[in-house]
Amino acid sequence: MGYLNNTAVTVDAILTKKGRELLARGDGSFRITQFALSDDEIDYTLYNPTHPSGSAFYGEAIENMPLLEAFPDETQIMKYKLVTLPRGTARMPVLDIGYSAIRIKQGASLAITPQTLNYLSQTSVNESSGYTFTISDVRLFNTFNGIGITTPEAQAANQTTTIGTNVSKTIIGTTLNLTATTVNTLFGGNTNLTATLQVVGRDSGARIQIPVTVTKTT
Amino acid sequence: MSFKTLDPEDFLVSADSVTATAWSTNSPTLSTFFTSSTTSTNDSYYKNVYQTGSDLAGAAVQFAIAYGNEQGSGSALFNDLVAGKSPTRTVYGQYRNLVYGDENASFIFGGITASDFWAVSVERARYKEHLLKGTFNITLTNGSDTIKLTDNSGTVSTDTFLDCGRVYQIVSGSNGTPYTGVNANGYSEASGSYGLFLPDVGVMLFNPLALSASINLEPNRSNDSDGSNIQSMFNAIDSGNAFQLNSEETVTSDFVYIRTRNAEFNYSENPSFISGSTGDVLYTQFINSPQSYITTVGMYNDNNELVAVAKLSKPLTKDFTKEALIRVKLDF
Repeated sequence: MGYLNNTAVTVDAILTKKGRELLARGDGSFRITQFALSDDEIDYTLYNPTHPSGSAFYGEAIENMPLLEAFPDETQIMKYKLVTLPRGTARMPVLDIGYSAIRIKQGASLAITPQTLNYLSQTSVNESSGYTFTISDVRLFNTFNGIGITTPEAQAANQTTTIGTNVSKTIIGTTLNLTATTVNTLFGGNTNLTATLQVVGRDSGARIQIPVTVTKTT
Repeated sequence: MSFKTLDPEDFLVSADSVTATAWSTNSPTLSTFFTSSTTSTNDSYYKNVYQTGSDLAGAAVQFAIAYGNEQGSGSALFNDLVAGKSPTRTVYGQYRNLVYGDENASFIFGGITASDFWAVSVERARYKEHLLKGTFNITLTNGSDTIKLTDNSGTVSTDTFLDCGRVYQIVSGSNGTPYTGVNANGYSEASGSYGLFLPDVGVMLFNPLALSASINLEPNRSNDSDGSNIQSMFNAIDSGNAFQLNSEETVTSDFVYIRTRNAEFNYSENPSFISGSTGDVLYTQFINSPQSYITTVGMYNDNNELVAVAKLSKPLTKDFTKEALIRVKLDF
């Protein structure tokens, strides 16, 4: 009889760009209170439920794969979260925000109200805890606010200010209101500014990421 | 649900002492010593010592040597009209303030009051938080005379403190233990200890009276002229070929315990987990026996902002029959 290895897996963490900003701010906003798990890099098409050697080998091609080191850019990691759903779930929740890409003129406004498909046995639902909206470069927008959720953490997220550099901003709400920047100097010699918008359902964990382009008008 | 709230017992703060070699060579003993041939206005106060030629790639300051004298002897006066005010007097006052915090104090080495000293000040990046007591070993050679010195921390049962923190006597011996073959304390009571080892500020002060008595290393105490005393101490260290020192720092780590129950985190929002745009799971087996793979742990604040992230070395299988415990280490 052999011994089971009961030691915990220990991994070293790094601070994200956002984490460093919050730590430098020194106002207590760097306080870890929750966690999430993701399976970035995993390609489930490698899972083989018809493996001739049996079920113990279905995940053979995935289980020993080497993984990349963590990226400090919070918008490039934790993309695909693991979610807790009832056993027997046949369809995963999917987000629909009405856009596959956003192209907005300088100074223009837009409201986005996501819908979650295949969740809570409903075809389409607006999640009660709302959605987190993360823009990869907050400088692109004069306004980037969430409405519809009145919990203290949602209100705190909507009131945070950033240090004016190209860091991300995350807000919480059922609807996102945004107004593109009117600052010409940000464009330099370019006519467009680009970033990514990531939306995650706070209940379902469903996620969508789309490109955002702000076009210069003056 | 993709986020799980951490409980207070999921956090553990740990402070561990980390010791390392002090020198850039990553070797406990530094055996080659170089000064810069470029003249500097600071040369009359101190000289930086490098582990290799100062103009070579990778050269880094290891420590600095200074000489202090209560009467200002051993260096040219700032102004000939003002007696006693010279760089060596400035250095003397600087270290007196640092070590004793009292402008009326005198340097006392093993019961003997001295009016001058050599100071070896280790570069801050080399000693990190403080020097590790008991690791200080230096060989000083002057002509045919050689002495091996260490701190006496190995025989001290209760630490002594000055304004600069802990203080130990520099004695003849090695690895924190005095050589008692000649004198019981490792130094002559007539000339005093060989100096003071001040680990909390990364400084060693050497007593010229003791060094003069043992290896004839005596500073030039001439008035209003450069006595080349920094150079004479450098020569003694360089000829000795052995300066051993370790650094010590306390690294504070936060451990976060990530606990997942069997019914949690078994499905994935990974686009390869579903087929097509309808959200159907990729394989029918995944409906009742889903299998997910943990590769990344993300830690968030109340605002759902990702503040820290950890990657596993290989995917960790998760399904309805498995629970996982992952310990994440955050160093500050």
